[in-house]
Order: sequence, then structure tokens, then C-alpha cells
Amino acid sequence: MLEQNLKKYRISKAEYETICDLLGRSPEGLEWAVFSALWSEHCSYKSSKVHLKKFYNKNKIVVGDSDENAGVIDLGQGERLAFKMESHNHPSFISHHQGAATGVGGILRDIFTMGARPIALGNYLCFGEANNSNMPRLVDGVVRGIADYGNCVGVPTITGRTHFHKEYNNNILVNAFALGYFAPDQKVVSSKIPESGLSIMYAGAKTGRDGIHGASMASESFSEDSESKKPTIQIGDPFFEKLLIEACIEVIDKNLVVAMQDMGAAGLTSSSFEMSVKDGVGLLMDLQKVPLRDNTLTPEDILLSESQERMLLVCKPEHQEQIQQVFEKWGLDAVEIGQTQKDKNITLTWGEDKLLEIDPELVVEHAPRYERDYEKLSPKWESPKLNTQRPSLPDVASKEWIYQQYDQRVGVRTAKDCSQDIGVVRLPHSHRFVGVAMGCEPEVMRDNAWLGGRDAVVRPCLKLAFNGFTPLALTDCLNFGNPEKKPIMSEFVESVEGISEVCKILDVPVISGNVSFYNETQGQNIISTPATVVVGLSDNILNFNSSFTQAEDNVFVLSIETQKLYENLASTMSAIKSWSQNADISSLAMVSLKGLSYTLEKMSLKGDGVKTQSMPPTEFYQFVVATGQGKEIFDELLKLEFICVSAIGKTQKAQINIEEQSLSAKQLNEKHSKVWRDFLGRFA
Amino acid sequence: MKIGILRFLGTNCDYDIWEYAKALGHDCEWLWYKDQFNPTAYDRIIIPGGFSYGDYLRSGALASRTPVMASVKQAAQNNIPILGICNGFQILCEIGLLPGALLANNNRRFIDKWVDLEVVSENNYWSWGQQNIRLPIAHGEGRYFIDEQGLKNLEDQGGIWMRYNDNPNGSVADIAGVTQGTVAGLMPHPESAIYEWMGGTDGLKLLRES
Repeated sequence: MLEQNLKKYRISKAEYETICDLLGRSPEGLEWAVFSALWSEHCSYKSSKVHLKKFYNKNKIVVGDSDENAGVIDLGQGERLAFKMESHNHPSFISHHQGAATGVGGILRDIFTMGARPIALGNYLCFGEANNSNMPRLVDGVVRGIADYGNCVGVPTITGRTHFHKEYNNNILVNAFALGYFAPDQKVVSSKIPESGLSIMYAGAKTGRDGIHGASMASESFSEDSESKKPTIQIGDPFFEKLLIEACIEVIDKNLVVAMQDMGAAGLTSSSFEMSVKDGVGLLMDLQKVPLRDNTLTPEDILLSESQERMLLVCKPEHQEQIQQVFEKWGLDAVEIGQTQKDKNITLTWGEDKLLEIDPELVVEHAPRYERDYEKLSPKWESPKLNTQRPSLPDVASKEWIYQQYDQRVGVRTAKDCSQDIGVVRLPHSHRFVGVAMGCEPEVMRDNAWLGGRDAVVRPCLKLAFNGFTPLALTDCLNFGNPEKKPIMSEFVESVEGISEVCKILDVPVISGNVSFYNETQGQNIISTPATVVVGLSDNILNFNSSFTQAEDNVFVLSIETQKLYENLASTMSAIKSWSQNADISSLAMVSLKGLSYTLEKMSLKGDGVKTQSMPPTEFYQFVVATGQGKEIFDELLKLEFICVSAIGKTQKAQINIEEQSLSAKQLNEKHSKVWRDFLGRFA
Repeated sequence: MKIGILRFLGTNCDYDIWEYAKALGHDCEWLWYKDQFNPTAYDRIIIPGGFSYGDYLRSGALASRTPVMASVKQAAQNNIPILGICNGFQILCEIGLLPGALLANNNRRFIDKWVDLEVVSENNYWSWGQQNIRLPIAHGEGRYFIDEQGLKNLEDQGGIWMRYNDNPNGSVADIAGVTQGTVAGLMPHPESAIYEWMGGTDGLKLLRES
């Protein structure tokens, strides 16, 4: 019986003994489900928490505490941004379309739960190698999932990164980023419950059977029977989410809400326990009052269901009716399911029957903390050997096939879309611009995790600086294999410390994030992948983009020496930013690690191309710049002796001549589309 | 001008149209799907794009059965200029104020891109004032379909408003927009092309004060 329960609830023997010590007895009834969910890696961060504390996470622009649904920064002029990135790797591998779609839905809820209107989405995707027979179906499903959800809910996807590598064959990565905006008169809503005597309302979609035990599923490695995990996948409805956004923002604007929390991983359990424990205010909830899609659900199912598009609202009792009216206007239900209490316990009932009474601190604050075994990696400056000679695979083709399926302009704020190095939206009130750049190169992480983690910050910050943006803050999604394995834990610790070190130097705090461990299938772990998003600000938008836009420009390649750059990071970054704001250039793009020639092709896809006279080798930090001027425009930057510039050729109308390759603009576009058609086969 | 902007559950370009009209100095009012309105109170009626009712059943089908549509039909009878953009175009076809229908793109995928368009014929209510324009499209069901007789009628009446230079979705006769009397519909989004930083400003031409 005990063995069965441990297996069912995915609780280890040692953890079981800790629970017995805490309770003074064996867990009973719903306690099993509560401990199972909240002590899962996904909810408790038990393997990572001791290290995440090391992050540089505060400076004068950071608003509020790090234990809210997303991080918030103050941009001045009354404007604030909330943003976060989160993984949905396990669900997306099991059910590509729904997994990816609900990943988008979940990250959006983290943003509007706080009262911010979502204004941009981004995604970081890692797929397996292109000749894996599963991959076309996976790529198609994931992209459709993201598109179906994001497009319908009406939030533009403005940037993304996609990698293909065989080490993701059996465990793809789907990381979704969302950015939300607070106008000057809008307040930030906390998830903390301040006092007793308040009503707890359940709003949004009804509870169904989907996603039960999802959090503990996402905390395990995959075995061969991952197909059997399909019932743990949530089903999303973007139309419902759109209504929920409007209703939630309206009740917040009308000042009817005291606290709010979405029901994400581990559903009602984690949302209620986390809200309650933050300020030690207890809750009494009657599970019989939870609106159900399926009347056969047991109290345990209700507690663990991860049905999507649901919210917990805390309000003054006298505001209940007004809240209900707003939700009704948007076609949604909102019902009272409980009240906040004087004592600090969480009490769950089914009508008159008490099902559970427990001090949430026992579950949340006493969750296990593991100091997993690791060793310090030593600094290694060599950048990995770049393999730029590759067959034609989607990895080295334009990602237009992907991003053309995303609405990149809804909301009428998009200034730079997915075809550019960074995504940019204009702020509605001040008309300043926010830039979004993603980092983490799996190829680098695989060869040199010491450098890879640091590069995950430096690379996106360089992209922002070259576009005239000041990097402000960062969110990350740390995708790793099994933390119980020492080499993986070592890379995890090094990534956290490396990211933090660079963030501190650049004064870019880590304001939110997510850890996804156990990206392991049948003993094979993914490349450690600490994906990042850096958000920056600029008063104006520079008049160039990442594609060639006119003929007869001089084309230069600018390279920065890696170690020297890191030794002079902050000063170089600001020198680059002020240079780009005054430079007379027409195009600028960062050279991809997939090669200079691939980058030049990508820059030529919108019409105008390039004719190269010389091709320097691809380097780790390298940029292509096109300008009507000569080399003198770089004078200011070349004062830094670790930056060098060389002329490589000229732009030309509708034609590329890159080394031996000679193609018209039309042929070049056809070349890139053909790669996708060949890869996708019947999914094209 | 005073512009009435329709809102259904799920409409997601509502604020976009509001900003578009405001950018050109017009007054705006929301027209909620449950309510009827006095059609003669407005100089223009716009039905925005964006997944009303989540495109359930088929795009535009549920919106066309809401109470506000009775007033929209009245507005058409009163010759009030009505414009449907993207999902708005789908809704106008669905209720029969415009001929034809919009079906899934021939590649069965959502398409977001800038397209070059040719203005074929204009009327007094909805005009661009220039022949070539460039706007973004963003739709999954934008393939304009009409039968042969319908197409002929459309051609005869000068109802083909705009054509794609490079047909992105398989529309019959490259049609991107149609007009019928004071009613017009188009798949591209003029509101997404009103500032240089968006990538183009051709969208401004449509709603300028005449």
C-alpha cells in the first residue's frame, strides 16, 4: 500500500520520511496529493533553489519581490513592464500542438495575473536533427500550437530562436516568453493575501480532467512509455484566454481585486498554497463549489487538475457582485469558493465535510532542498570550433517558414518583427521603444558550458546595444537534464553563476525565470540550455534593419575579441550603444554561429543582396554592417584595440555573389524555401 | 468623422482600429455586439479583424448572428459606409453584405507578411487615392472565393477593389478586397501600416478625411 502510494504520487522514500516527521504521522487522504504536487521539482525547485538565490536580481528599476508571477521593472514616466519565460518541454514532446499552445497560454497568464496587458510574445525552440523521422511532425505541431494560441489571443510574436541538434531528438525544448505593459495609471497586482475576511473567487474555465499530475510528470525523465502520459497534458482554448485577459484587466482597473493568481502547474493546489503561505493568511475553500466540466471528478482530481484559463481572485466580499458582472459581460463565470481565515491553516471541505486541514508552511517552506553534487568548471576562453560547412538543413535556412505563421503585428506596436535580429515594440504612452533579444547557443554550451552561460547574456546584450538599446533586465529558462548527475549539475551551477556574474557587470538583473530539469529520455540528456531573454529600452528607433536595403553600399565585417570583450564588458557595451545611435549605416546584423555566409544570405532575402570580394573567417562575436560611407564611420569603435573591421564587398540589387555562389534574389528565396519543403515532406 | 467600431467577444484588433482612427483625428465609439445602435449617428462603421468567437464553426459565422448585426444591415440600407477588415471582411461576406466567401488559405496555414497590392477600382466612400499600396496580411482564412457568375458580376459592377500582385493564399482572381455599394471588405490590415517605424504608411490613405 505504501509502495503503491509512493509510486502513484512520485514521492521518494526519504521524502516520505520527512513528511512523516513534519506531520508526526503518515500522510492521509488529500495530503498525499498536496505533497506530491508541491514537492515536485517543477513546483518546489528543490534541486535549484540553493543556486537560484545567487542571481543578481535587484537594482533600482526592479519593482516588488522575486516571488511574484513575473518580474516587473520600472521604465520611468509611469510605465512598467512585466516579463517572464517558461518551459513547456515535456508536454510539447508528448502532444506537440497542445503542449506548445498551452505553453503560450500559461506564460500569458503569468503576465496578466499581475495586471499587465500582454503586448509581445517570443519563443525559444530546440528540435532534434532534421533527418530524424519524427521531427517534421514535431516542428509542424509545435509551430501550429504557438500560432493557433498566440494569433487568436491577439498578442504578436515578435522574436524567436530555433535550433536543431540531435541531442534534442527525444526531448525537444519549447520555451515561451511574454512581455506585459502597465500604463501609468495601472497598478501591479500581487499574489499575496494581506488579511482575513476576504472572498476567494474562482474565475474562467471550468475544471476538467486534463493535466492531473502534470507537475510531477514534468519533473521526471522520459521512459519509453511517454505516450501513456497523454492524459497529463492540458488542453488550451485561446478564445477563453482572450476573454479572461479582458475580464481580469477590467476588474483590476476598477480596483475590485486585492490579489490574484493563475492556476498553472499543480492547478488549484499550488495557486492556493502559494498565495496563502506568502503572508501567512489561511484559507477555507469548499471544493464542491468549484465549477466542473465533468461531475465525476474527485476532490483530489479537482486539486490537481491543470485545466487551462482559470484564475483565483481575492476580493472584498462587497465587490463580489461587481466582479461577477464584469466576468459575465465577457461570457465567463466567477464564483466564490472560499474565504481567507484568521488562522494560517488551509482547510478544504466538500460541503459540510472537512477533507483536509494543514499548515501550508509545512508543505511549502519545508519542501526538500537538495545540494546536488557538482564541481566547479574552470574558465575556458576558447570558443568552440564553428562548423560552418553544413548540408542544407532548416538549421541553416531562413526561419521564415516558422514565423510567417505567427501574427507579428496585431496590437499595432511592432517596430521590428521576427525577421530582424531583435524584436521591438513601441510603448503606447511614452512612445519609447522596447527591444527583446534572446540568447543561448546550444553548440557553445555543448563544447564549453563555462563560456556558454556567459554568452547567453553577452550575445543578446550586444544585439540590443548595436541597435541602440540599453539592456535593462533578463529572464531565463534553464533547461537541463537530470540534476542527480554530477556533470549536468556542474553545468547548471556554472550557468547560474556565469549568467549572474555578467548580469551584475552590466547591471541587468535577473527578474524572473524558470527551471526545467529532467530533460532526459532513456538515459540520454539534452545539451544544457540556459535560454535567456534580455529586454532593453531606447528613446528612438534607428533607421536600419537586419536586411540589406539598398545597392552600392560598402559592406564591412566587425569582429570583437572574446576575452578582451569580457574584460571590458560594461564600457564596450555602452561605447557600442552610443556609436550605433550616431552611425550612418543602412543595415546591421549579428553573424550567426552557423557562419558568415549564412548570415549574408539571410540579410539578402528581402531583395537586395551582396557581392563579396573577401570572406574573413566566422568569429564568435562578429557583425555585418552596410553603409554608404567608408571605413571611417568605425573610427570611434576602433579606438578599442580588440575590435577590428574589414571590408568584404558591396551590396547590389536583387542578386548575391557570396564566394562561388551566385544567385538572384528569387533563386535565393527559393533555395531557402526548398530546404523547408524537403525537410517537412508531407507536412509542408 | 465619427467612427463606430464593432466589438465581439474575441475581437482582437479592436484597439488597433481605435488607434488607427485616432491617429487620423477621428472620433470613435465602441459598438458592443449585444447592443443595437442608431446607424445614422456615424459617418463610418468599421468591423475590425481578429478571431471573433475564436473562429469557432468558421470565421465570422457566430459574429454574424449577434444582435448588433441588425443595426449593421440597417446602416447598409441607409448607405452608411461600412468597412470590414480581415475577420470583419469575413463577417460581411457571412451576412451577405458583400458577395463571396473567405476560405482557409491554400497552404492551410496562417500567413503574416507584407504584400504589394494593386487598387483596381474605387468608389466615393472607400478610396486609396493611389494605385499601388503595400500592407501586411495576417490571416488563416483569407482565400477569397466566388463562383464564376459572381466573379463576372463583381467585375461588371467594378466591385473588385484590390488585387494581390503575388497571390499569397489562393484567392480567386488574386482578389484582396471587394466593394458593394457603400460596403467594403479587405483582408490586409491598413491599421498596421500607419507609421514609418511599422514599415510603411500606406494604411493612412484609406481613412483620411475626405
